[in-house]
Amino acid sequence: MMDTVRSGMARAGGWESLAAQRDARRARTNALLMGAFGAVGLATVLLVLALVAIITYHGAPTLSWEFLTQPPREGMSAGGVGPMIFGSVLLMLGAFLMATPLGVFGGVCLAEYGERSRLMRLMHASVAALAGTPPIVYGLFGLAIFVLKFHFGVSLLAGWCTLTLFCVPSIVLITESALKTVPAALTDGGLALGLSRWQTLWRIALPYALPGILTGVILSLGRAVGEATPVLFTASVYYSTAETTLSWETLRQPVANLPYYLAEGYRQPGVVPERLIWGACLTLILLTLLLNAGAILVRYRMRRRYL
Amino acid sequence: MMATMAIPQQKTAIETIDLSVAYNGKPALRGVSLAFPENAVTALIGPSGCGKSTLLRALNRMNDRIPNAEMTGRVLLKGRDIYDRRINLTRLRREVGMVFQKPNPFPMSIFENVALGPRLHYGLRGRALQEVVEDALRKAALWDEVKDELSKSGLALSGGQQQRLCIARMLAVQPQILLMDEPCSALDPISTQKIEELITELGKQYTVIVVTHNLQQAARISHYTGFLMYGEVVEWGETRQLFERPARAETEDYIHGRFG
Repeated sequence: MMDTVRSGMARAGGWESLAAQRDARRARTNALLMGAFGAVGLATVLLVLALVAIITYHGAPTLSWEFLTQPPREGMSAGGVGPMIFGSVLLMLGAFLMATPLGVFGGVCLAEYGERSRLMRLMHASVAALAGTPPIVYGLFGLAIFVLKFHFGVSLLAGWCTLTLFCVPSIVLITESALKTVPAALTDGGLALGLSRWQTLWRIALPYALPGILTGVILSLGRAVGEATPVLFTASVYYSTAETTLSWETLRQPVANLPYYLAEGYRQPGVVPERLIWGACLTLILLTLLLNAGAILVRYRMRRRYL
Repeated sequence: MMATMAIPQQKTAIETIDLSVAYNGKPALRGVSLAFPENAVTALIGPSGCGKSTLLRALNRMNDRIPNAEMTGRVLLKGRDIYDRRINLTRLRREVGMVFQKPNPFPMSIFENVALGPRLHYGLRGRALQEVVEDALRKAALWDEVKDELSKSGLALSGGQQQRLCIARMLAVQPQILLMDEPCSALDPISTQKIEELITELGKQYTVIVVTHNLQQAARISHYTGFLMYGEVVEWGETRQLFERPARAETEDYIHGRFG
């Protein structure tokens, strides 16, 4: 065996020449694959940028203070989308207040008890499946349960409940994974100090995981605010003449919102001019962009504090 | 059952009685009976995997955290079995503090790191809390270095300072027994020397039990030494005697670097 290797070596002219062949091949493969990754990555980024650019191109001329604050006029053919923005923000705020505690507690529960209990593993799998469930399913579920069964009617309240259901699974998952990034050394340190499991969680693990959790919450809300289907049958009205003010009555009334306006407006060509649709589209993108920027800012400021 | 190995004429702070621990059925400690003397530094030495860390972690029940760890035997603190179901785990760990191999300051300010324990355990606030924090940082020989930047992150400190912060954090809870699991193994020589001086100082007021794989360190800082192999105590006694005139051949081989 050694002899054949040696004789092969001798023919080829030593280790270096053997390596040289492979080096050349490796360099080629490397250049090819890295080039391919780069190209695909660039294409993805360009695709997204193109999307934003096209919408901006069409929508920007419509955007004005008036458009953002005024209600539609002249049978939806003029005016702005003020009530739709207001409604979207309202829907999102309620979902935020309801979904965050539920989702965070669920995530804590899975992270703390998940490993050892079969029930928790089952729950994890269910939540993961729910997080991937199409939003229309939540919309129909909300219609059946909140609107009809609970007699909430098509209302802000039913919309909140449906959006909360829609957001909770992803918040649970993000909280669970954020808590799992907490180093065991920190948890051990807390327990060795005599802190209870709850105190260790509350004082050490959760603050450590908080930037990640908040980012996840905001991203999930960003997704929710752009979805039309969860609120389609549960909370939406195409156009409400009601003033954009808040009262207890608002809870039981449907609200206008951006995604629904886009869907309905587009289905009725000739009624809503195209420039208004583009403008609303851009507004929705800006709203989610604003949320994402908020998420990044929150994470950055928290990380900088003590980490 | 082997008789507990105690140092004559020394008050015992904590003792193990026929203590065995197994992980997934694999024994890590086999019937260890040791009485750790009060207000002295005891070193636990032995080759990797000999069970010295397991023994240390059994003394404040940190092994509870490890799934599939089984334990038999008893650990007596002031005559009470700490594995008794009625024992208050929080109180036990208040009395028996622990410092880990790798410094693990919490991601909060230096002050908060030290203040967390006394605030949660004793409800201290304001002036009283500040005094406890200062006192703990002084005892940990860190005060002079950090007194002007108490609001800085604990993670911004050097490795050696972080370890002293962890010691201060432990002291602030007012423990009686200090467990240290290779407290210097992640530190440079100068930081190591500082921690060693600190351990010597702390040994006057506290019962200190140090796991180390650094034999010179054990010889320098400890009054008593236990030598473990394969989960059993091979030899146990005054440090000087154990290092200069070991009674057992295995001990002599180990301290002269013939294995391990």
